[in-house]
Amino acid sequence: MTQSDTDIIVIGAGPAGLSAAAEAARLGAAVLVLDENDRPGGQLFKQIHKFFGSKDHRAGVRGYAIGDSLLAETARLGARIELGAVVYAIYPDRRVAVITADQRRLLLNPKKIILATGASENALAFPGCTLPGVMSAGAVQTMVNLHRVLPADKTLMVGSGNVGLIVSYQIRQAGGKVAALVEAAPVIGGYGVHAAKISRLGVPILTGHTVKCVHGTDRVEGATLVALDDKFRAVPGSERDIEIGCVAIAVGLTPLAELALMCGCKFTYIPKLGGHLPVHDDNMETTAAGIYVAGDITGVEEASSAMEEGRLAGIAAAEALGRVAPSEAAVLKQAVWARLNALRTGRFGQARRDAKERITAEGRGAHVV
Amino acid sequence: MSERTADVIIIGGGVIGASIAYYLTKLGVKPVLLERGDICAGTSGACDKAISMQSKNPGLHLDLALESSAMFPGLGEELGADLDYHRYGGMIAIENERQMAIMEKFVERQKNHGLPVEILSGDEARKRQPAFAPSVIAATYSPADAEVSPLKLTFAFARAARRGGADIRTGAEVRGLLTNAGRVEGVVTQAGEVRAGVVVNAAGVFAPAVGRMAGLELPIKPRRGQIIVTEPMPPMVHGEIWSARYIVAKYNPEMIRSEDPEAADLGVGLAAGQTAEGTLLIGGTREFVGYDTAVTPEATAAVLRHAVSILPFLAKVHVIRTFAGLRPYTPDGMPILGPVDGLEGFVMAAGHEGDGIALAPITGKMLAAYIAGAETDKRLRDLALSRFQQAK
Repeated sequence: MTQSDTDIIVIGAGPAGLSAAAEAARLGAAVLVLDENDRPGGQLFKQIHKFFGSKDHRAGVRGYAIGDSLLAETARLGARIELGAVVYAIYPDRRVAVITADQRRLLLNPKKIILATGASENALAFPGCTLPGVMSAGAVQTMVNLHRVLPADKTLMVGSGNVGLIVSYQIRQAGGKVAALVEAAPVIGGYGVHAAKISRLGVPILTGHTVKCVHGTDRVEGATLVALDDKFRAVPGSERDIEIGCVAIAVGLTPLAELALMCGCKFTYIPKLGGHLPVHDDNMETTAAGIYVAGDITGVEEASSAMEEGRLAGIAAAEALGRVAPSEAAVLKQAVWARLNALRTGRFGQARRDAKERITAEGRGAHVV
Repeated sequence: MSERTADVIIIGGGVIGASIAYYLTKLGVKPVLLERGDICAGTSGACDKAISMQSKNPGLHLDLALESSAMFPGLGEELGADLDYHRYGGMIAIENERQMAIMEKFVERQKNHGLPVEILSGDEARKRQPAFAPSVIAATYSPADAEVSPLKLTFAFARAARRGGADIRTGAEVRGLLTNAGRVEGVVTQAGEVRAGVVVNAAGVFAPAVGRMAGLELPIKPRRGQIIVTEPMPPMVHGEIWSARYIVAKYNPEMIRSEDPEAADLGVGLAAGQTAEGTLLIGGTREFVGYDTAVTPEATAAVLRHAVSILPFLAKVHVIRTFAGLRPYTPDGMPILGPVDGLEGFVMAAGHEGDGIALAPITGKMLAAYIAGAETDKRLRDLALSRFQQAK
């Protein structure tokens, strides 16, 4: 890994980072992608389901296939990917500090940085939550779809967002049982089509319920569920025990925004998108000049929108480096925005679009051209 | 504009200001403490936890430290707070014959000043501190070194002062000094005037700005210290550890240059200790970079390089955080305490550099006694600002 010829460093080789790298490399920028994992692709390679949206958004294509084509695209365009590389700091002079897979310490000096660090899954605390067998839904998905290991015969899923619904389905596909899916809110959080699918397979979806505690000596052996009233208080006497070997927690994600915080970016707080987020403008540039963001770090959405944001950031960073004429860049960016806005429609999409608009409204005008 | 009257105003809510406020209330004086930010939000909240005796220069410096040290054991009970105070002793690792020659003289002088300290052979040192590298040829050991949580100490002083009637105000920025005919009459804050016949400048690294309000040039400069925090782990080191280079860096950084030029530039020396939670605090640097509190990769690397050479197990430990604090440096390494010639009622209490935590109790006690008129410690004469003014 050398630094002399690096224009842009992309941190994170998930859908947003790879898309940003591809777009910037296509426009002639020298791009280096850093990822702390030993495989690229972020969550794409465990997403065995077909994506939603239109043909433009690669609807009907499965996540891992999208991952394969993104990797092929970045490789063809000459973006380098360095795996096992942990970025532990970005200093005020924009130097990027990295520990490489072979334990070397590097200080890189790119002209632009694109942060595509994604999000981490939220935890939930309850008695017994530290017992082996309690894990995040994402971890269950990795075990089942990547490593082909079923964590337990019977699983309790907590949370009815799309992650909880899809992972429940994938547990069934792998031959496991989902004893119940509990959701504290009175309504299902994710898409109706996903919920209907697991309902048809006989998974009981209990809205207005939560896990009260998990029991077991060395590992999860069972759980006590409890009904909640309209103020989320446990209803006495409503407890019931179920026998399970795994509890999967799918209660939302939080953007991994620490590096943006280190860059001194201005932040805003939008609970609907995962909490504290760096504000950015229509070019995905934060208030720290030359630092761009894309994907879940800008607010938790889906891989489809993450890829479009990545493309936007890639084009904008290449444009800022003079690799593409502003007029040409404007056409490219407009096309991405059209696809992004098309993704952010409908009952769920419009709410996200409104929330995202709040971020860009705050971020606009930070950089006078 | 609101106006109110107090006996004494203390500017600065660090460990020094809080200590003075507390010892004043013990003497029946109820001061107003004005802090621009928050209690312990500056230097006192960005340092390590050592109450070091061995790093003090034999003489007045060590005398004060030993007196202060004797006040610590009962302090938690007196303030009604757990201060994480322990006296586990401390060791200074010696890496070569040149350092040995310096440390032998230093230790001899410290002994003559009443500090219990001895030099152990490399093997004896490793028996006491198994984490030391084989390259450590000898180490000092003193049972007098101790440790305390600087945050808990500062807050405990402030809370006890408040219970004793002190008016402690945060978010109160002093913007001007009221003087009349060579006498201090109070201060101007963003929320109005506060009048008092005594104003104590305990603003630490910002003391020069307060001094300028009084037309005084104070020879205090911010000196940055960067500190590294590791992941928590089982007990790995016993008590506080320094390197001989730390002592050299404190008093004469140029002597390090032949060993490591970059370390000399950054004033790198090892000061390490493990917290009750298991994390290791590893310092540090001594850098003149104005009021910049950024951490730098160069310092992190230089400090860790030096730390690993003395404590090799650190090579396999994860670092979780780095931070920097500004220490109020003075040219002779001693604080500026007490009255100031030509401005009656203006009292200095700043410039402790890295000794503020260790010297806080004695500083508070001495200055409170002076301000309350109970007793004027003769040593205040040697610690006064005038020592720099006469030198000119």
